[in-house]
Amino acid sequence: MEFFLQQVMTGLSIGSILLLVALGLALIYGSMGVINMAHGEFLMLGAYSTWALNTFFGLGLLSSLVFVFLLVGAFGWAVERGVIRFLYRRPLDTILATWGIGIILQQVVRLSAGGELRYVEMPEVLTATVSILGVTVPGYRVFVFVVVAALFALTWALMFKTDFGRRLRAVVQDRDTATCFGVDADRVYSLTFAYGAGLAGLAGALVAPLKSVSPEMGTAYVVDAFFVVVLGGVQSLFGTVVSAGLLGQLTGSLAWVTNDTVAKALVLVAIVVIIRFRPQGLFVAKVRS
Amino acid sequence: MTKRETSRHISRHLREGRLQIAAYAAICLAVFLVPVLVDNDFLLNRYARYLVLGMVAMSLALAWGYAGILNLGHALSFGIGSYCMAMTLKLRTVPTHTGSDGLPDFMVWNNVETLPWLWVPFHSTTFAIAAGLLAPALVAAVLGWFMFRGRVTGVFVAIITLASLVVANLLVIDMQAYTGGFNGITDLAQLSLFGITFDAYSKSTYYLVATCLTLSLFACLAVTRSKAGLILQAIRDDERRVRFFGYDVASYKVMAMAVSAAVAGLAGMLYTVVMEFASPTFLGVPLSLSIVIWCAVGGRQSLAGAMLGAIVIAAMQGALSESEAFLETWTLVMGVVFVAVVLFLPQGLAGLVEIVRARLAAARARPAEPIAPVAAPGTGERS
Amino acid sequence: MTPHLALTDVSVSFNGFKAVDGLRLSVGKGELRCLIGPNGAGKTTALDLICGKTKADSGSITLDGRELSRLEEHEIARAGVGRKFQVPSVFRQLTVRDNLEVAMCRETGVLATLLRRARTPAGDGLEALAEFVGLADVLDDPAANLSHGQTQWLEIALLLAQDSELILLDEPTAGMTHQETAKTADICQRLKGKHTIVVVEHDMGFVREIGDVISVMHQGALLAEGGVAEISADARVREVYLGTMGIAGA
Repeated sequence: MEFFLQQVMTGLSIGSILLLVALGLALIYGSMGVINMAHGEFLMLGAYSTWALNTFFGLGLLSSLVFVFLLVGAFGWAVERGVIRFLYRRPLDTILATWGIGIILQQVVRLSAGGELRYVEMPEVLTATVSILGVTVPGYRVFVFVVVAALFALTWALMFKTDFGRRLRAVVQDRDTATCFGVDADRVYSLTFAYGAGLAGLAGALVAPLKSVSPEMGTAYVVDAFFVVVLGGVQSLFGTVVSAGLLGQLTGSLAWVTNDTVAKALVLVAIVVIIRFRPQGLFVAKVRS
Repeated sequence: MTKRETSRHISRHLREGRLQIAAYAAICLAVFLVPVLVDNDFLLNRYARYLVLGMVAMSLALAWGYAGILNLGHALSFGIGSYCMAMTLKLRTVPTHTGSDGLPDFMVWNNVETLPWLWVPFHSTTFAIAAGLLAPALVAAVLGWFMFRGRVTGVFVAIITLASLVVANLLVIDMQAYTGGFNGITDLAQLSLFGITFDAYSKSTYYLVATCLTLSLFACLAVTRSKAGLILQAIRDDERRVRFFGYDVASYKVMAMAVSAAVAGLAGMLYTVVMEFASPTFLGVPLSLSIVIWCAVGGRQSLAGAMLGAIVIAAMQGALSESEAFLETWTLVMGVVFVAVVLFLPQGLAGLVEIVRARLAAARARPAEPIAPVAAPGTGERS
Repeated sequence: MTPHLALTDVSVSFNGFKAVDGLRLSVGKGELRCLIGPNGAGKTTALDLICGKTKADSGSITLDGRELSRLEEHEIARAGVGRKFQVPSVFRQLTVRDNLEVAMCRETGVLATLLRRARTPAGDGLEALAEFVGLADVLDDPAANLSHGQTQWLEIALLLAQDSELILLDEPTAGMTHQETAKTADICQRLKGKHTIVVVEHDMGFVREIGDVISVMHQGALLAEGGVAEISADARVREVYLGTMGIAGA
């Protein structure tokens, strides 16, 4: 029983980080139809920002979070204004352009911050462990879980309870009609992209103390996050949560059963099969095209 | 419109076609003339390498530029070809230092006792060459069938092909005992064909590559100039409409992917001959991305453009690779160029040439009339 | 005489909404049939069902006795069904000439087309066809550069090049001038007899000019069928078309 609970806790922890990475990706893809191949690099940028704020300005992780969100968000806004907005009618080229942006970011970081691994200190208060239902869980993991839950609630409220969310959903439904009714679609898109990028940056900041920080760190996360998005369905925020939780549990258990490479390959094969048979995701009702 | 004017149109059509063939022939001729000017086996080996990369970029242009299939996993075909060649050449080396008869050295190190069944037919070079062409085509056809029967289009094709490449790459590295794992297959014999031994650092290998390049360039040209090639372009534009003319869209796309993969497989085999090894990086994501970049910069809708794009970029990279710092900066510059081309020049440099040529021709022919806008660029993808 | 095209009790629904509900329709060989009805009557959906764009939930659709409803779009096209869409859909990146070459689809197999040259030699009717629809001057222009009217004509030329036994026309005269409408009517008259034609149209003048038999659809089913005079006099038809105004005013 305790082993089982331990597994569940590990799964929840992995799942919460996955959700955080996937949330921005799902938001950008679901609302703008842009598959952002640079999402992993946005995450990496967030991690490096945290490291830089820590090293050069002595800012701790907690006080950095807001700055990181704004910094990476602003960067995402610039990318949308400078590149993405020219490509809305060419979805295939968006993949290529964002892939290119990913390479550029990796190289810029490698050339400026160096290719060696960087480390970010965990906040002192969160190094303690917490006991939940008799299972010992690192405090930082609980903190991440809480932050992610809060961010998810915030995103949901933003989408469904605010005027901005209504505008965004209108643009998603029919851009031309929304524009005719006075919605500034360009602005809605760039803000959405910026918000998604900011979320990726936060994810980077939060995973920084758990793993080392390197220019390539984004790639691994983005594959899993993409899987979450595909699994959950692009239009459904709750689908994203369910699939993040599912994948978190799955990864937690799979690591026991088989080796890492095979597990990775299986995840990819599952992505392929799901796209082929249910491109709209597993948790979305069939819609008439 | 009079009869005379109609025939003027036809002749313009034929003239443009002939011009294209002449230009392609001139490129191939130039490729063949290089060894006359360069008498340096080291340089020839390098140039042969660039030609092979040009070939694989050209093969991607066939699938991507003509049929609208953005195959981000194109290196998979290249890698399969490369491994097929490496397997047969490996079996020709006598592993004296391992003491085990007829078994590749890395298998001995991995405690493999007998040659795996998949390796056995590779004792025959003919089989290996056939496999190097057909296996990539078959894999691509099966993948294509899987996707296109289910009407998977656009970005999802890109994701599926990319994911397939990563899976294959992981498996090749993981199955170390059978594939040489991370190190690949090294320490190979030289290819012997028709009584000629192809030393990687020799004119003969260069000519072998040049011949294969010419043949595959014209084979791809024949596909694009056939009615099927036209239908592929129509599919790229609006695949639903093509169905209502009675064409089976999935079969056409499968064909385009398979032909493209076979040419990439041939290029992969040659790459092993030129480089004298096969490595999992040959079916890695970075190479696959490079192929896409070469193709995009050179011009995705032009076979020769994609080919030349690859040759020029690879040559520039080769010149800079002496220094690690230069190479890192180079990667950065390539990233910027790539994004810029995707944004502003979707038809690549070949498209630029075409625009300039059209403007010059228009200016010469009818200086008074405004120049017709160039066809809307894009990948013709509808989602 | 067995009908050329026969729809028997065909139904399809989208999210519970029955767009076509037990439709029965039979069209004889060489006949020109007009399909009219108020908005949302299911006319376009009926054409979608025949050409395979939409799959029927139930019922049967046959062409010369051959069941179409389970075939894929390209198989239905090969069986002899050609379709003009309401929104003109031509290959915008290809030239007008190449558009027509694609539409000349006697051979549709991959191998057969691989061995054929993309451009057929002059004199197989492509130029004459382009001249007939007034596109001879723009043969080598990309279709993207055509005006809306020219695109309509290209679409009609594509249908003529395809030369199907059964031709489905969805609002062929939408956005056309009087002269162009007359020319379209003329083309329909010429095709009649050799081809079986089903036209969905709102323009009653056009329908009166070309129609022998008119089928009226309402709420996904057939409401009435008959000659122009018969239909104009039909009380039920008058009722669905804005009560007392009748179809004359539609």
